[in-house]
Amino acid sequence: MAGLILSPGMRGQFAAIARVRWQLFINRVRTIRGRLEVVARGLMFLGFAAAGLGGSITLGGLAWLFVSRGRLPWLAILLWFVFLFWQLFPVMATAFGETVDSSSLLRFPLSFPSYFLVRLAYGALEPSTFMGSIWLFGFAVGIGIADSRYFLWAAIVLLTFAIFNILLARMIFAWVERWLAQRRTREILGVVFFIFIICFQFIGPLVSRIGRSGHPEVPRIATQLLPYERALPPGLAAAAISLAVQGAFAPALGAFALECIYALAVLWLLSVRLRAQYHGENLGEAVARSTAPKEKRAIRLGWKVSGIPGPVAAILEKEFHYLSRSGPMLFTFVMPVVILLIFRLGPQTSAKQGNFLAHASDLAFPIGAAYALLILTNLVYNCFGADAVGMQLFFVSPVSFREILLGKNLAHALVLACEIVAVWIAVCFMFHPPGVDVTFATVTGVAFALLLNLTAGNLLSIYTPKKIDYGALGKQRASTTTVLASLGIQAAVFGLAAVTLLVARAFGRVWIAAVIFLILAGLASIGYVLVLNRADRIALDRRDTILAELCRA
Amino acid sequence: MDVPAIATQGLTRRFGELVAVQDVNLSVAPGQFFGFLGPNGAGKSTTIKMLTGLLAASSGSIQVLGLDLAKNSVEVKRQIGVVPEGMALFGRLTGAEYLNFVGRMYGLDRETAGKRTAELLDFMQLAEQPRALVTDYSHGMQKKLALAAAVIHGPRILFLDEPFEGVDAIASGTLKAMLQRMIARGATIFLTSHVLEIVERLCSHLAIIHKGRLVAQGSLEELRAGVEAQAAAALVGAHLGGSGATAPGEKLTLEEIFLRIVGGSRRSDQELSWLG
Repeated sequence: MAGLILSPGMRGQFAAIARVRWQLFINRVRTIRGRLEVVARGLMFLGFAAAGLGGSITLGGLAWLFVSRGRLPWLAILLWFVFLFWQLFPVMATAFGETVDSSSLLRFPLSFPSYFLVRLAYGALEPSTFMGSIWLFGFAVGIGIADSRYFLWAAIVLLTFAIFNILLARMIFAWVERWLAQRRTREILGVVFFIFIICFQFIGPLVSRIGRSGHPEVPRIATQLLPYERALPPGLAAAAISLAVQGAFAPALGAFALECIYALAVLWLLSVRLRAQYHGENLGEAVARSTAPKEKRAIRLGWKVSGIPGPVAAILEKEFHYLSRSGPMLFTFVMPVVILLIFRLGPQTSAKQGNFLAHASDLAFPIGAAYALLILTNLVYNCFGADAVGMQLFFVSPVSFREILLGKNLAHALVLACEIVAVWIAVCFMFHPPGVDVTFATVTGVAFALLLNLTAGNLLSIYTPKKIDYGALGKQRASTTTVLASLGIQAAVFGLAAVTLLVARAFGRVWIAAVIFLILAGLASIGYVLVLNRADRIALDRRDTILAELCRA
Repeated sequence: MDVPAIATQGLTRRFGELVAVQDVNLSVAPGQFFGFLGPNGAGKSTTIKMLTGLLAASSGSIQVLGLDLAKNSVEVKRQIGVVPEGMALFGRLTGAEYLNFVGRMYGLDRETAGKRTAELLDFMQLAEQPRALVTDYSHGMQKKLALAAAVIHGPRILFLDEPFEGVDAIASGTLKAMLQRMIARGATIFLTSHVLEIVERLCSHLAIIHKGRLVAQGSLEELRAGVEAQAAAALVGAHLGGSGATAPGEKLTLEEIFLRIVGGSRRSDQELSWLG
């Protein structure tokens, strides 16, 4: 630890880093966008401050209540809450954005202790640290008010717990950062995150089911888990305080010692990760030259789609390659079926208690299909976003934008068709097969909505493109203009669909809705063709803007 | 007389108040290996973008193989191959998929596109990692793939924007060999590069752009003769000896020609005395 004492050289380096960060901040507020961001962050800080203060008062009050009423085992629940927030919030908030490249620091003559401290300081002032620290302070004050003799002890235990949390958060972040540095690991992490999100959706329905059935296993499992909980840092910190309050000082000291060991272990793991970074680990993504004897692989020919011109078929194939290699996209596409499953698993006793599909299962197919269409709009409204610099090829190749958009639209329509079939099958298994009239009305309704969305999507893809990465989660939204226009179109589509369904209901014939939707689809197709025929001229007129947006680093 | 492969008249491009390219009149004969040079920010990339349809000209006209680019853009694009600044790659395809895709975009049938893909991957030594995505390629591999894509349809004119940037000596040798083979077969190559030694070795004709204006155009010998004549005239005018002149029998290198034309000089007067 001797190296951690700041030498004048280290102080100079820290001052330089602090100064450059300040300068970056000042440079940012020079633009209107930057100023707006600073204002937004200021508002967010106020929100965090309010949540920190409110949480601190609440936790302090609860700690006071539990200590003064002798309900000491309950203290652990509060510390577990603080722990989970402290660790999960930064991962959720920052894991899928761009991370600071540590190599930018390593080019300077920084010693390892300096590097370690800088990395520890980077992000140590995150909202989770700020809020967690205030909460723990309130917690300690609550104990002190309940019994002032234990304030100092509680403060020491909670300070150690806070240090453990800071170190653990930094360690998790350092590892997440390592995984995010490479495309493959980034995508795997993305998929894991998505699975986590999907599983999260099932908690409500499952808890509701278990709760209703009064499952006898739940209390037994909870009792079995208690010893493990007590062996982990939040449990240990709570035990160190509650045992001291009960007068068992030696066991309290033991629990505190174990908590310190946890903190040291995390410190060690963090230093292992940072040392690897410091020594310049190679996270290059370039494929290694193979040393194995060359294996001649036959080149697979491109897709042959009868009735479709070669360039359109090539675009169609390219789109499918892109989608099939995007974990987040594939998971997005299963969401309509997942949503139906969530509805299916929900309580089914009363129509008033949420699961209305159990009582109006005819709506399951239209709802699933509409959800599938909504998910697809993400692709349709920014269809050049993932092409990035590849967009240059479209401008230098002898293929018109009419054909390019046709290929992309065909790919998106096929994806939607597959999803609609999957939703139909899922509805058959989970509820009951939709009637022929409902199926036909839904399919014609989707056809109308799709054509309208493709028309608007083609225009907005050219007018307001935004570079995105199919392989990454987060920050993958289209431009604000596109989002707003898309919302307007969806409102119009759902409005027309609602009117159509009301008319059909008034006549008591679902078939009427199908006929109206067919007419609307016919009208939408005229608009679609008109836009498609003008796409080339619009794209060429806007090529400077399009390429500037999509080809930027 | 042959129709020029590339000809521009009064080509101009403005970005707001800034005139990036002003009144450029270029003429490139068929079969020429043409080097387009200029200092940073001179307007090279802007010009090549206009010639390939990536950027609209503010005024002036562009003829490629006798066709007006504005009126016959599809026909012109069919005849040219381009390696633009950003390389125009699709990161989430494999090298083979990308070449196949580009081949079909240029109207090749499936079989021909597949056959040429295999040959190009082999030639460019990119066949070793058939499953690797383009985004995972090194910069040099991406450059080779971009060049392979630019030639897959057998273009009559090839536009290359800094093709040797970030490419190692082995890959650079492969690229040069391929380009010279194309010239031998009658293709025209229009190239921009900062590596003057390569340009001097490869290009038969040159043009130099400076602050958006074309300041010199011709064969290397013509440019050399022009610069030497200017230097001689300056010498006579100033009655000075020594600086600016070349020793008898000594040829000016392209770097020297370039520096004299664009008026650049190394600042030897200002020494950084603290440097070791």
